Amino acid sequence: MLYRQAGIRHRRYAAERQLWPLTFDRVLVGGVVLFLLAAPFTLDRLYLGSYLLPWLLWSSAALGLNLLMGGAGQIHLGYGAVMAIGAYTSVHLVRSGIPFELALVLAGMTSAALGIVFGAAALRVKGLYLAMSTLAMQYIIDFTISHVPGISGGTQASLQVPRVTLLGMPVTGEVTPYYVALGLCAVITLFMLNVGRTSFGRALAAIREKDYAAEIIGVGTFKYKLLAFWVSSFIGGVVGAVLAVCYLRIVTPDQFHLDLSIQLVAMVIVGGLGSVLGSFFGAALILFAPIFFNNAIGTLATQFGLGISTDLRSHIPLMLYGALIILFLLVEPLGLAKIYDNVRKYFLVWPFRHVRK
Amino acid sequence: MQRTDSSGPGDIVLRCRDIERSFGGLKALKAVNLEIRKGEILGLVGPNGSGKTTMVNVITGFYPPERGTVTLFGENITRKRPHAIAARRMARTFQNLALFRGLSVLDNILLGRHVHMRPSAIATLFYWVWALREETRHRRVVEEIIDFMQLQDIRNEPVEVVPLGLQKRVELARALAAEPKLLVLDEPMAGMNQEEKEYITRFILDARDERDVSILLIEHHMDVVTAICDRMQVLSYGETIAEGKPREAIADPRVISAYLGQRAAKRQAGAGAAA
Ligand SMILES: Nc1ncnc2c1ncn2[C@@H]1O[C@H](COP(=O)(O)OP(=O)(O)OP(=O)(O)O)[C@@H](O)[C@H]1O
Ligand SMILES: [Mg+2]
Repeated sequence: MLYRQAGIRHRRYAAERQLWPLTFDRVLVGGVVLFLLAAPFTLDRLYLGSYLLPWLLWSSAALGLNLLMGGAGQIHLGYGAVMAIGAYTSVHLVRSGIPFELALVLAGMTSAALGIVFGAAALRVKGLYLAMSTLAMQYIIDFTISHVPGISGGTQASLQVPRVTLLGMPVTGEVTPYYVALGLCAVITLFMLNVGRTSFGRALAAIREKDYAAEIIGVGTFKYKLLAFWVSSFIGGVVGAVLAVCYLRIVTPDQFHLDLSIQLVAMVIVGGLGSVLGSFFGAALILFAPIFFNNAIGTLATQFGLGISTDLRSHIPLMLYGALIILFLLVEPLGLAKIYDNVRKYFLVWPFRHVRK
Repeated sequence: MQRTDSSGPGDIVLRCRDIERSFGGLKALKAVNLEIRKGEILGLVGPNGSGKTTMVNVITGFYPPERGTVTLFGENITRKRPHAIAARRMARTFQNLALFRGLSVLDNILLGRHVHMRPSAIATLFYWVWALREETRHRRVVEEIIDFMQLQDIRNEPVEVVPLGLQKRVELARALAAEPKLLVLDEPMAGMNQEEKEYITRFILDARDERDVSILLIEHHMDVVTAICDRMQVLSYGETIAEGKPREAIADPRVISAYLGQRAAKRQAGAGAAA
C-alpha cells in the first residue's frame, strides 16, 4: 500500500506540490539520507574518501550544470573552467587568511561574474554557437591560469591548500570534508528540486522551450538567460572551492581541463537533462564505470592469463565506457532518470498495467 | 452587447497611428490606423496575407514598425520589447500555438501569472519560507481560470498530449491568467469544430463582461466576428479598406471585392492546377 497513488486526496495546494507525495518515495529518500549521514561510521574510510565524497561533489557540479542545460536549455562546454575559477579564488583567499566561509561565497561570486561574461554570448547565439563560445571560455581560463604564475602557483604550477575551518570545525581528515560536501550537496539538491515548482524555474523552462512565447508572457529572455548563467556559475564556483579544499587539497591547472567539462556534460546527458535524480545517476556512472571496467579487465586478464598488452589494457575500459554512453543515448535518450521512472511507474500501477501512461 | 456607448471616446486603450512595416520589398502594412476603446471587442479581419498577424506583432512588440506609433493607455510603447509590453497588461495568443512543451497544463497557465510574481533564485532555495505562500496565492487565481475555462480534467497532463482544440483553450487560459486589460487573440478558433467554436465564443464574451478586458480579435470565421464584435476593421494588402459596425463593414463593396477577388483568384489557381 506504500506504493500507491490512489486514495491520496490533497486538500491544500501546498500538499499537492510537495516534493515526494508518495509514502514509498519518502521512505526511500529518508533511507538514502540516513545512509549518507551514517556513512562515516559504517563505511570504510577508503570508500568514504575516494568514492562517496567525489560522487557527492561531482553530482553537485552536475546539478549546477543541469540548471543551465536542462533548466534553461543553454549548453555549456566550459563548466570545468567555471569550477576552476571558484577553486583558485577560494584557495588564494584562504591562503591569504580570509575565513573559508567568506572565501566560499566570494568564489561563487567570482565564478558567477566571469561566467556571466561568457554567458552573455547566449543572448545573441544559440546551440552550436553557444557551445563554441563556452568552449572558448574553457580555453581562455585554462590558458590564463597556467600562464599566470601568480594564479597557478609559480613554477611548480601547484597550490597547496592550507588547513581551514568551517564554522569552527577544522576541515581535515576524511570525515569533516565528507560532511561539508554532503551539506553542500544537500543545499544544491533542495534548490534544484524547488526549481521545479517555483516561478523562477518555470521562467527558465519557458525560455528553454520557446523564447518568443516567454517574452509574450512577460519573461525577459535576456534577463533570465543571464540569471541562469549567474546562478549556475555560482553553484559551479562554490563546488569548485569545496572540491579544492575538501578533496583535491593540492590544486593544479590540469584538474580543471576540458576533460572535466566534457565529463560533466556527459553526466547531465546520461543522467537525464533537467532531472535532479539523473544528475546523481549520471555522476555515478561516469565516475565509476571506468574504474569498474578497469578492475574487471584487470581481473580477467590475470585470472585467465590472457596476454593482453598493457597498452590495450588501458584502452579497453575507455572503449567500453564510450560504448556504454552511446548505448544509453540510443536506448534511452532521456537518460538514466527516465529508466528509473519507467521502473517506478511499472510498480506504481502494478498489477493494473492498462492504466500506465 | 453595445458596451461602447456607455464609455466615452476618451477611454482609448490602444491607439496605432500610421503603422508601416515591410518585409524585404513587400509592404505588409501601409499606414494602418487602429483604435480599441475600453470594454470593446474589435474584430480585425481580411483575406490571407493581408497583414493581420503582422499588425499584432507590431502591437505586441515583436516587429517594431518602420513608421508610426503604438500607444497603450496613453503611453508610447512603439519600440518596447514584448516582455515590457506584457508587463503593461497586454496578453496575446498566437495563430500557431505557442505553449511550452514538457510543462503541464497547470504550469503553462501558471506561467501566465509571471508578470504578477517575483521569481528569484533565493526564494527558490528557501521555498518553504519565501515562495510557498506566493505560489499558493497565484495557484488560487489560476484554479479559478481553470474552472472558468473548464480545464480541470487535464490540468496535470503534459500540454503536448492534449488535443489541439484544448491546447488553444489552454493558451487562452494562459493569456487570461495574466489578468490583462487588453487581450489580443490571433485566430483563437482556427481548426475548431462548431461546438469548440461556440465554447471559445462564450469564453471570450464572458471574459469581456466579467474580467473587464478589451479585446482585439482576429478571426476568419465571419459568423463569429459579426456576432460578437462591437466594431470591425477590414485589412487588405496592408491597408484598411473598411471599418465600422460589423454588418455594415462586411457589406462594403470593397470588402466584398477583396474577399471575392481572393476567391476568384483561388478558383483560377484551382483551374490552373486542374488543367
Ligand atoms: N517574418 C516575415 N518575413 C517575411 N514576410 C512576412 C513575415 N511575416 C509576414 N510576412 C508577409 O507579410 C504579409 C502579411 O502577413 P500576415 O501574416 O500578417 O497575414 P495575415 O493577415 O495574418 O494572414 P493569415 O490570415 O493567413 O494569417 C504576407 O504577405 C506575409 O507573407
Ligand atoms: Mg495571421
